Amino acid sequence: MFLIDAPLVARRQVSKDMWVLGFAAPEIAASVKAGQFVNIGMRPGPLLRRPFSVYRVEGERIEVLLKAVGTGTAQLLALREGDVVSCLGPLGRGYDLASAEKSVVLISGGLGVAPMPLAARDAGAAGLHVTWVHGARTAAELCSESDGDEVILATDDGSAGFAGTVVGASPDAGLVLACGPNRMLAAVAQRWPAAQVAVETYMGCGTGVCLGCAVPLARGGYDRACTEGPVYTASDIDWAALPSHLAYALTLPSPASGRGAA
Amino acid sequence: MKVDLSVEVGALKLRGPVLAASGTFGYGTEVPLLERRALGGMVSKGIFLKPRAGTPPPRIAETPSGMLNAIGLQGPGVEALIRDYAPQWATWDFPVLVNINGESAAEYGELAGRLDGVPGIGGFEINISCPNVEQGGMYFGNDPRAAAAVTEAVRRRTKLPVWVKLTPMVSDIGVIARAVEAAGADAVSAVNTFVGMSIDLNAYRPRLSFRTGGLSGPAIRPLAVHLAHQAARAVDIPVVGVGGITRADDALEFLVAGCRAVQVGTATFVNPNAIAEVHDGVAAFMAAKGFASLADLPRFLPKD
Repeated sequence: MFLIDAPLVARRQVSKDMWVLGFAAPEIAASVKAGQFVNIGMRPGPLLRRPFSVYRVEGERIEVLLKAVGTGTAQLLALREGDVVSCLGPLGRGYDLASAEKSVVLISGGLGVAPMPLAARDAGAAGLHVTWVHGARTAAELCSESDGDEVILATDDGSAGFAGTVVGASPDAGLVLACGPNRMLAAVAQRWPAAQVAVETYMGCGTGVCLGCAVPLARGGYDRACTEGPVYTASDIDWAALPSHLAYALTLPSPASGRGAA
Repeated sequence: MKVDLSVEVGALKLRGPVLAASGTFGYGTEVPLLERRALGGMVSKGIFLKPRAGTPPPRIAETPSGMLNAIGLQGPGVEALIRDYAPQWATWDFPVLVNINGESAAEYGELAGRLDGVPGIGGFEINISCPNVEQGGMYFGNDPRAAAAVTEAVRRRTKLPVWVKLTPMVSDIGVIARAVEAAGADAVSAVNTFVGMSIDLNAYRPRLSFRTGGLSGPAIRPLAVHLAHQAARAVDIPVVGVGGITRADDALEFLVAGCRAVQVGTATFVNPNAIAEVHDGVAAFMAAKGFASLADLPRFLPKD
């Protein structure tokens, strides 16, 4: 785990409202695995850091994917090249790609594409045939980047690819990795109880101390998305008790978003 | 200039005045990247006799310069603490106080009795101020007789240092501080979190599943400095200041306002090395001002 002052070195838009930001963070770039995340802090800025899956690694640069959902992300999007953030990571337990299977299906919805390029990288390195299924509400919200041997798109409104959910669009597979809204992951869990899913929770410290990112477990009790997760075996989670919608509401005013919650 | 930052809180000698606050440092094994030489001591995550699952998510919500939490004292229970953590604590070069909780005065006493004499346990911080449990917790902290009863129950079971963590949710913190002092407390920690609420305007309900949570972070610092000062004016035992400390100046405010030592909490969530930065900053301030030890630091503490 490293704590690095990381300058913004790259930025590009990958959908109507999703952006990729690249930060120079050599030690994290060298060690991060698919499904792991970084906790990014800004000064001045919101009190707490914000967790982001590492999207891609290019040399000494890590990339994260974001959407302006609150004042924290709005402030990140307003950064200029050379502006520095505090980057803590890599954190959490990522996807496990050690498998006897020959192929893997990556299923992502919306911002859930975030861990998939690294998953495709690591799966490719493990010799797996990679099918990437990516969905969004509508064509303009689909991520313009994808990796893997085969790509399947799905939109709720049918404006691109399969008309329907990513779960409906996916072929069957022994090894399934998924990331997206928790209600999408719950549907993944129904079809593939053994799937590895990366859940979203509110998070405080990101290092296992605050117990704020509690994930309800099927066997009872909670553990920490930041430490035991964020990747879980789908059947281990008590989906009915996991909040399905996070408001991402922050109360700090920011020039980018005006006052109040996004 | 060499500055001596050691302090004595009752009978407990600390190498520095900055401790890790309960609930923000786990059991001392979780926080990465901290320069531990700076730790005066630590207070463990609050523990009950029995394991507790904690509250359902969402458990935290960020607010301006602060955060609300309702963790609900999730923990493994005292036997697991003794088995899994105390042996490590016994090898550490700073004392560990265990933050103890119960639903009755007798339960607090039983917990202290079970932990007393276990190698690695350096003392107790009685939590009569947790806002996030249904039974006990803050109830004991806003009634001077209940606060005294809990303190006495613990005092009877141990000769180790006993600190009492006070709640800010009272009309006169001095009354509670005096009550626990008379009941045998060696020090008070002032203060625990303030009860707060934040509403999700998409869901038309509180952002926390527990509805309310404890507010911590820089947002509460001036309130906490005032309450720690009021407590220090009311009692002769040491006051350990806690509430929103993120930098050395914040810690120094509590010290000048009458505190003997301080605890850093929420800041550790943001900056894993916050405790060391506060400690080093206090040392730098003392050196710059020409104070050789914390006893030389001027205090603003007019007694009534």
